[in-house]
Amino acid sequence: MDPAALIPSPDPLQVPWGWFQFLLLLTFFLHIMVMNIMIGCGVITLVKQLASPAKSHALCRDLSTKITYAVAFTVNFGVAPFLFLQVLYGQFIYTSSIIMGAFWLSVIFFLIAAYGLAYIHKFQFDAWSPGRRRWLLGSSLACMLLIGFFFTNNLTLMQTPAAWPAYFRHPGGLFLNLAEPTLVARYLHFMVAAVATGGLFLALLSHFQKELAEEERRARIKNGLAWFTYATMVEIAIGIVFLLSLPKPVLRIFVGGNWLATLLFAGALVGSFYCIKFGARERLWHATAAMTVTILLMILVRDLARHAYLAPYFHPADLPVAPQYSPMLLFFLILAAGLGIVAYMLRLAWQSAKEVRQ
Amino acid sequence: MNYPIWELTLFGGGLTIALMAVFHVFISHFAIGGGLFLVLTEWYGYRQNSTAIVDYVKTHTRFFLLVTMVLGGMTGVGIWFVISLINPATTSILIHNFVFGWAIEWVFFVAEIVSLLIYYYTFGRMNRRQHLILGWLYFLFAWLSLFVINGIIDFMLTPGRWLATGNFWDGFFNPSFWPSLFFRTFVALILAGLYGFLTATALKDPAFRLRMVRYCALWLLAPFALLVASTWWYVQALPEPIRAMLTQQPPELLLAIKIFLWTAPLLIVGGLIMTIRLPQSATRSLAVLLMAVGLCYLGAFEYIREGSRRPYTIHGHIYSHSILKKDIGKVAQAGLLKNARWVQHREITGQNRLAAGRELFFLTCASCHSIGGPTRDIIRLTKGYNSIDALAARIGGLCDLNSAMPAFPGNAAEQQALAAYIFEVLQQREKPAAAAEITPQQHEVPPFDPAAAEYVLLAWNEYGMHTISDSDSRFSLRPPGNTIHAMLIKRGARPQVISEGIDIHYTVEAGSTNPAGQVEFWNHAASLTDREIPPNTGPTGNGTSGLMRPATDGRTFSATEVPLAPYQEGGGYLPYPLVTFAAVDRASSAMLATATMVAPVSTEWGCRNCHGGPWRKAGSGLSPETADNILGVHDRYAKTTLLRQAGEGKPLRCQLCHPDPRDGKGNPKGLSLSAAMHGFHAPILKGRGADACFFCHQDGAPHGATRFYRGIHNELGLDCTACHGVMEDHALSLLMAEQQAGKTAAARRLALLKPVGVDQPAQIKPRQAWISQPDCLGCHVDFQPPGSSTAFNQWTAGEADLFRRRTDNMGIPCAACHNSAHAVYPATNPYDAERDNIIPRQYQGNPYPLGANKNCALCHTREMKEEMHHPNSLTNFRNVR
Repeated sequence: MDPAALIPSPDPLQVPWGWFQFLLLLTFFLHIMVMNIMIGCGVITLVKQLASPAKSHALCRDLSTKITYAVAFTVNFGVAPFLFLQVLYGQFIYTSSIIMGAFWLSVIFFLIAAYGLAYIHKFQFDAWSPGRRRWLLGSSLACMLLIGFFFTNNLTLMQTPAAWPAYFRHPGGLFLNLAEPTLVARYLHFMVAAVATGGLFLALLSHFQKELAEEERRARIKNGLAWFTYATMVEIAIGIVFLLSLPKPVLRIFVGGNWLATLLFAGALVGSFYCIKFGARERLWHATAAMTVTILLMILVRDLARHAYLAPYFHPADLPVAPQYSPMLLFFLILAAGLGIVAYMLRLAWQSAKEVRQ
Repeated sequence: MNYPIWELTLFGGGLTIALMAVFHVFISHFAIGGGLFLVLTEWYGYRQNSTAIVDYVKTHTRFFLLVTMVLGGMTGVGIWFVISLINPATTSILIHNFVFGWAIEWVFFVAEIVSLLIYYYTFGRMNRRQHLILGWLYFLFAWLSLFVINGIIDFMLTPGRWLATGNFWDGFFNPSFWPSLFFRTFVALILAGLYGFLTATALKDPAFRLRMVRYCALWLLAPFALLVASTWWYVQALPEPIRAMLTQQPPELLLAIKIFLWTAPLLIVGGLIMTIRLPQSATRSLAVLLMAVGLCYLGAFEYIREGSRRPYTIHGHIYSHSILKKDIGKVAQAGLLKNARWVQHREITGQNRLAAGRELFFLTCASCHSIGGPTRDIIRLTKGYNSIDALAARIGGLCDLNSAMPAFPGNAAEQQALAAYIFEVLQQREKPAAAAEITPQQHEVPPFDPAAAEYVLLAWNEYGMHTISDSDSRFSLRPPGNTIHAMLIKRGARPQVISEGIDIHYTVEAGSTNPAGQVEFWNHAASLTDREIPPNTGPTGNGTSGLMRPATDGRTFSATEVPLAPYQEGGGYLPYPLVTFAAVDRASSAMLATATMVAPVSTEWGCRNCHGGPWRKAGSGLSPETADNILGVHDRYAKTTLLRQAGEGKPLRCQLCHPDPRDGKGNPKGLSLSAAMHGFHAPILKGRGADACFFCHQDGAPHGATRFYRGIHNELGLDCTACHGVMEDHALSLLMAEQQAGKTAAARRLALLKPVGVDQPAQIKPRQAWISQPDCLGCHVDFQPPGSSTAFNQWTAGEADLFRRRTDNMGIPCAACHNSAHAVYPATNPYDAERDNIIPRQYQGNPYPLGANKNCALCHTREMKEEMHHPNSLTNFRNVR
């Protein structure tokens, strides 16, 4: 069966594809950052609760309060890139979602469970025993990790139409893209990156927690950066495996086949080395900058890889356009106004917290 | 068609979406009204200087945060997931057309989350004014989210000018945008009160609890008048076809409409009860109960809204089976399997027919129907169909009888394959019991001596076949029986019709003389005919034997509605019982002449093909199961209570509402039974030629147990449509006459039919059932050999011109010499080849019309030179055997 014949016809765009591409990358960056914090904080908190519950009690409580925010914004910031992904790649992502429909829909239930359990963990932190807390957080984290696994499945499946005929053997939506050679490495690549980001977030959070004793604060920053550094080291190892597991046409673009892809990939690689360097030297802001740049570059690399995967079938530039600009203009206006009001609200919150501290 | 189908089977697409959507909607509206509730209650607390109220708001905020963010927010994403899994084509249209609408809504969503989190976590830690500003901002963004989503949801119901322009703003500010926005806003306020009950009833201090419960009741009750007004506005804003459909309360939406209308007053009453001082346990229980009622209220509304949109997912643009309106004709013509991307079988063969049917099921049905699940279960819904053909017919007429269903987008072979899959695989059924076996019969031809006989006794029956319904405990189409006629002619050079001084007796043959033992008509006669009728007696007082009465023409004798049933006393089905006639001189009691003929009566209706149930008796008849299904369908569509009435022992005759033009009784506004029956079923049976007739008028195949069409025309290869036209044209002719008579109900049925034999409906001549029939002289112009092979659209002018009423130039009824309609000489009876020809066999020794082959001597006792009876009567019979 010719996989190309299975690809559904797309609907036309309202503005040229580049706008959506820009918005997709921008909002995906926001999503992945918060997602990393969510998973990373979850893993670090759980490990600490398992390893030294009494010693890390306060730190875990602090992190637990942040996990629920992170869930809320992971979902919220996930909505936008998922929207723009559907606009550019709807015919691919809908198809792959249907092929693994049961698992894909279960994401919602795992999400509710993860979120609800995270809230219980937060609200009952002091009331419940460490054992129960571990179970709560462990369950919540397991849900999050499972969701990540399903996302990795779907986003690899969407860009490999050659795997789609599996639908005819599994029309009930109980298919996972387990035969995909990059699947495990790709999944681990995201999850370990999350731990690294979680470590950095812990360091940054601690940096701003002026109410902590200085010694404790410094210890936390150090600990956070250690998580960041070691996880990034593991990340590089996994990244190499991931790279080598890519299909040759895709791999080729990063090793000279496409100068932009090669350059961006090299930049990301250099960035990750800087992450380790700054992390090891406990230079918080340098490490933060290195990580931000590395993640941005990796997002661009990821996007180019997707284009390479789909090159035999499709490029978003092929999509027909029926121009209507006024809705986009209104969106940008409302986005600006919304961001302004959000900033205002954050300022109110900041002032309030300051007053409380005083 | 464009996308693969997630084969959900048990849950079905509809339920999966509904579960997620109703749950989300119930929370998301609370997230709006509840936001206003928070900030206003907080403000109220400050105004009242009540710490208790402010503390209550804080507690309620935590509850609000958990419910709206964990459950509301996540299920909102869930709807997105689920619709893209069940209906990706529609989702893609919504995403691509409203991408910046969704993006704007996302901005509001961000602001909503930020404001709510800050509002909650700074409660009591921020100055009051700023905290209230945050509360107001939350409400503003929550309501703005509704503003955007409302535009997109209502676009699906009333896309308005977007259909022509494709413009974002035309689609967004669609005809139902504003009323819907107001309606949903008021619902949101009401829900704030309902959810408020949950936390208010948990308060410990009884006095404060009562105060806050009453406060919440105010939220529930105050917006109701505005809600009702906005509902009215909403309905008025709908385009006429949708409004008309809602006004008619289609059966598919009836339950939801009832729930919607009943739960509103329940909420009001519940809200009022909550204001009474009650024990805490009672108010808590009632609060939960009212939540359930509120969920039903909103769920019913959403169901009605979605139902009003059917069969589309975007009204007028894309159907629920994901085929664009503009494409459906093209797809159906070429075949769905050829057009669909995600199928393995492009051509249907004998080997892959079930596998192809399975693919067709998931392509066309699965987005709404489950397999064995709780909603729109295809197994339950198709249980009544007793054959693949019947199911295929229904599939072909899906959209015509059910406004919620789209047209089947495939060709005839695909209809059959889908029906076969449902019937054989899902239903796991085999071909059901066929109609009764035909048991060969024999007859004796009465003696006749052409040289010495003085009289010729002619006999015929009113209807060449009288198909009765033996579902008498449920309803009756007609009493069991047939009307018989006779005429005595004294032979001679100048034959005389004898009607004075004689009696003509009739006797139904043994074995068929106790119809009351076979059918239940007499048990229910009082209900069916408004009077008691003694067993084995017809409605006009005739028994299975007796004296015929002189007819009003002064020449013939008749016994009307002689009680007959097609079941034999020894068992078995015989739709052609014999009746013997004896003409006796009244003065001398001398026997003048005898004759024998069949008095046809049948119970072989094909209703069970689609309405399910077994045969009632001996391989024929309408069983109570079949009849109940028919009444159930009638009740659903016509909003009658016939099934209940029948269950209470009060079955009715159909003509009570659907008048019979022959007697002019019944509801004058109702469609005649013929027009109603053919008009209702024609859309299902369209495009099937004469097979459509067999579906209902016998077992469903051309070879049933009765085979009442047995005259010479059948032998010559003319089928039902040669005289009556195909089903569509036949129904059109009947309905148009009803419309001319001012019966408005005809219009709805007429709108569903397109003529087949002519180009335009206007070219079809209206005809009143039973009064105007295909005119024999339409083909046999001036009694000559036929000039054409179709009598369709050539109706007799009135009742007097009917074949069964008309006479020749000498006053001899047509049927007396040619036999009754559908059995004109020479006929071939399936039970006994010459059974219908006994009379010509008796008098002429051949099966041809009386007097055929210039046999004038039969009555005239000599050859005749002139065609006194009708032109072309003095010839040899053309179609000799």
